[in-house]
Amino acid sequence: MSITLPTYKRREMPLLPRAQRVRAIITTGLRREFRRPAAIVVTGMGAALVTISSIVTVLFSRFFLPPGAKLDLSYFAVPASNGAILFFVTLMAAIIGSGLIADDLHSMALTLYLSRPITHADYLLAKAAILAPLVSMITVLPLVLTPLVAALLGLFSWTIALQAIGLSILVGALLTVFCTSVALFLSSLTRRRSIAAAGVFAVNFGLSIPAGILAGTLGNPVFYASPWDNYVAVARAAFGATDNPIDWVWSLVILLAATILAAVVTYMRMKAVEVVSG
Amino acid sequence: MMALVQTAGLTKVFGDVRAVDDLSVSIPEGAIGLVGPNGAGKTTFLRLLLSLLRPTAGTASVLGRDIGDGLAVRERIGYMPEHDCLIPDMTGVGLVSYMGRISGLDRDTAMSRAHDVLQFVGVEEERYRKVAEYSTGMKQKVKLAQAMVHDPQLYIFDEPTTGLDPRGRTEMLDLVGKIAKSPGRNLLLSSHLLPDVETICKYVIILDGGHQIAAGDLDRLLAGASDRLRIDIRGDREGFARRLKEAGFDADVSATAIYVSRRDGIEAAVFDTAKVLGAEVRYMGRVVRSLEELFLELLERKAGGDA
Repeated sequence: MSITLPTYKRREMPLLPRAQRVRAIITTGLRREFRRPAAIVVTGMGAALVTISSIVTVLFSRFFLPPGAKLDLSYFAVPASNGAILFFVTLMAAIIGSGLIADDLHSMALTLYLSRPITHADYLLAKAAILAPLVSMITVLPLVLTPLVAALLGLFSWTIALQAIGLSILVGALLTVFCTSVALFLSSLTRRRSIAAAGVFAVNFGLSIPAGILAGTLGNPVFYASPWDNYVAVARAAFGATDNPIDWVWSLVILLAATILAAVVTYMRMKAVEVVSG
Repeated sequence: MMALVQTAGLTKVFGDVRAVDDLSVSIPEGAIGLVGPNGAGKTTFLRLLLSLLRPTAGTASVLGRDIGDGLAVRERIGYMPEHDCLIPDMTGVGLVSYMGRISGLDRDTAMSRAHDVLQFVGVEEERYRKVAEYSTGMKQKVKLAQAMVHDPQLYIFDEPTTGLDPRGRTEMLDLVGKIAKSPGRNLLLSSHLLPDVETICKYVIILDGGHQIAAGDLDRLLAGASDRLRIDIRGDREGFARRLKEAGFDADVSATAIYVSRRDGIEAAVFDTAKVLGAEVRYMGRVVRSLEELFLELLERKAGGDA
C-alpha cells in the first residue's frame, strides 16, 4: 500500500536524440547478456583460449613454420586461421546472437520497442551493436594481442607487429560483421532461439565440414560454399600467405554479399513481422 | 482547438482485405473510444496512427503531425498493446525505466519516472521482481506504466482490461479514468468491452469492416435521434399500453417499462391514462440506449443496408 496518495502531473520533458535511445538499447542489452552465465562463460573462455592458442603458435613459431618459409608478416596468417575462432564464434553467435531478436518476437516485446520513437533500422542496429563487440572479443582481440605479445617478446619487429595488428583488425572485423549479420538474420526468422542457434551451427559447421570433405572429390571451388574457408582465404591473402586453395577476391565478395544480403533481408523481415504480430 | 487525430481517405489494404477503408475522421481532444467487432480495423487503425504501418492511400495526422513522421508522432504517444509484450527477464522498474530511455529520457529521469508511474499504477515492492513472476493484473499495470513513463500527450490503450478479474478490471478502469481526467492528456481507448468505453470516454468512433459507421459525443449518440419515451409506472402496464394504443400512440411493453413514440399530446395522454387506470407514473423521459444497444443497432442497420 502507498504511504501517501500518488500524484501525477504532466511535465514537458526534453527528449534526448535518437542516438541516445539506440545507445540505451545497446547498453541495456550488453548488461543483460553479462548477467547470463552462458554468455559470460563463452565470451571469457573464447577470448582466453583463442588468445592463448594464438600466442602459443607465435611462441613456437619456429616449430610451426613450414619448410622454406620466413618469419615475416605472412606468419600471422596462422593465428588468423586458428580453428578455435570458428568454434567459439559459432558458440557465441548461437548462445547470444540467436536470442537477440527471437526472444523479442517470442515475448512480443518487439511491439514495445517499435511503439517508441525509434525506427526498425535503429532497433536492428542496436541489436547488431550488442552482438558485434562480443564477437570481436574472439575475432579481433586475440589477433591484435598476438602480434603485440610477439613484438614485446622480441620474436617479430615492431614494424611487422603493427602491420599485423592493422590487418588483424580488418580481417577480424570482416568475420565479425558476417557472423553478426547472419546470426541476426537467423534470429529474425523464428520465435525460438534454439532454432536460430541450430541455424548458426548449420551455417558455420554444416557448410565448413562438408566442404572440407567434398573438396577432395569435387575440387577446391567447393570451399566457396564455406564461410569459414572464405574468411581464411581472405585472411591468408591479407597477411601475404600465398598457398590459398581458392581466390581470396571471390571469397571476399561472397562474404560481403552474404553479409549485406542477410542484413537487408533481416530488415525487410522485421518490417513484415510487425504487420502480423498484433 | 487542434484535432487529436485527423484522417482523410485513410486506407490500408492487406492483399484482398481492406482493413481500413477510406476513413475520414476528425477526432477531438479528450477521452476517445474506438469500438467495433473483430476485424473492424481497430488495431490496423491504431498501428497506422503509430506509424507502424504505411497507409495504402490517404493521409492522417496525430496531434498535428503527419504520420509519415513516425518518430515525432511516437514521441508524443504512449502505447499499451493488447497482447502480452513485456520482457520477462527484466524487473518491473528496470523495464519501465528502459522504455523511458528508449523514448528519449536520460537515465536518471527515466528511473525516477519509472518509480513515479509504478507507484501511480499500484506496483509497489513488486517492482523489483522479474516480470515473469507477475500475475496478469500486475503485467497489465506494468504495461500501463511503460506507456506513461515519458508522459505522452496521447495514450493509446488497446483492450486494457483484457484477461483481468472484476477487481483488476475496476482498478484498471480507475487508473485509465484518472489519466483521462488529467489536463493535457488525451486517450484513445480501443475495447470490445463497451461498458469500459462508456465509463471512460466522452466521444466514440464505431468501426466496422474498415469503415466508420458512427462517430460523435457519446451522450448525443446514445440519446440519438430517437423520439421514443420510456415510461415507468406502478400498475397494469399491459392495460396502460393498450389504452395508449387506443388513443393512437405507438406503445410497446417490455418487462420493466412502456416505450412510446413521442408526439404532440403524449404527455397529456399518459397522465390521463394513469388517472383513469389509477396507475402511478414513476418516470417518463427520453430513451437513452446503452453503447452496446447502439452498437448492435448500428451493426444490424449496416448489415441490412449491405444486404
